[in-house]
Amino acid sequence: MSSLAPRFSSIRFAIGILCILFLYAGCSVRRVAFNDVVTVEQVSFIRVGQTTIGDLADHIGAPDEITESEFGVVALYNWSDTKSAAFDFGALARLILPYAPTMTLNKTGITPEQLQVVFDPQWTVRAYGFSRRTMDKPIVWFWPF
Amino acid sequence: MLSFKPLIGIILVLALTLTQGCVVTRGTIGEPLQEDAISQIKKGTTTMAEVVALIGAPDRIVRGNDREIFHYYYYDGKSPAMLLVLLNFIRMDIKSDNLYVFFDKNGIAEEVVYGKRTGRTQFRLWPFGE
Repeated sequence: MSSLAPRFSSIRFAIGILCILFLYAGCSVRRVAFNDVVTVEQVSFIRVGQTTIGDLADHIGAPDEITESEFGVVALYNWSDTKSAAFDFGALARLILPYAPTMTLNKTGITPEQLQVVFDPQWTVRAYGFSRRTMDKPIVWFWPF
Repeated sequence: MLSFKPLIGIILVLALTLTQGCVVTRGTIGEPLQEDAISQIKKGTTTMAEVVALIGAPDRIVRGNDREIFHYYYYDGKSPAMLLVLLNFIRMDIKSDNLYVFFDKNGIAEEVVYGKRTGRTQFRLWPFGE
């Protein structure tokens, strides 16, 4: 009985390692962040008809783009947080086989967001708003269906 | 003296094992904007030609409110990655600096808008959290 105990514990250890390997097998997590997020709180200082482009730059920095529209000049602040995760079921085969079959599930969520500020000819804010915002998505979510 | 050799070997192997699969990438677009040159632009006096002499030709010229706007930009991206046999983490952090110089109808600088974000670009590997 006593000689079986160490063997049983080593089998448990091996199974544990295999389980960990299987859980992480072919797991790939990628994340790309572009610029800082601009929040609603950060732009609460804006007063339509009063705040100038200089005030805006002092608070949240220079815009990424300035373009002209029918309603006036528009300053655009862009940011994004792209998350991508993949799970390759064939990765475990790499440990034992010379050939690793690819059986990958991958999901990528690119979420570009934008703050748009419209200026009048005196460079004071005429209107501003955020682009359609997405809910926070999990970082590891590889199920593509 | 001889006893140190295996130790060095072990440290070397450990260091190689710990850093295997590590990838460090850095990418930039454009040239960093020189803040001392930007500070020399004086509203109401500096001309378009002087701005070009100070900073160079703009990356873009935008027209807005009947004015010419020079746009200069610089992007900096840092990306560490850990590519192991079974597990990969890749993260990239990109930020941009932007400079806009607004000129009046006589080609004199009217407003300077500058924002620097690239100083906060980091090599961060852990993809979770903020």
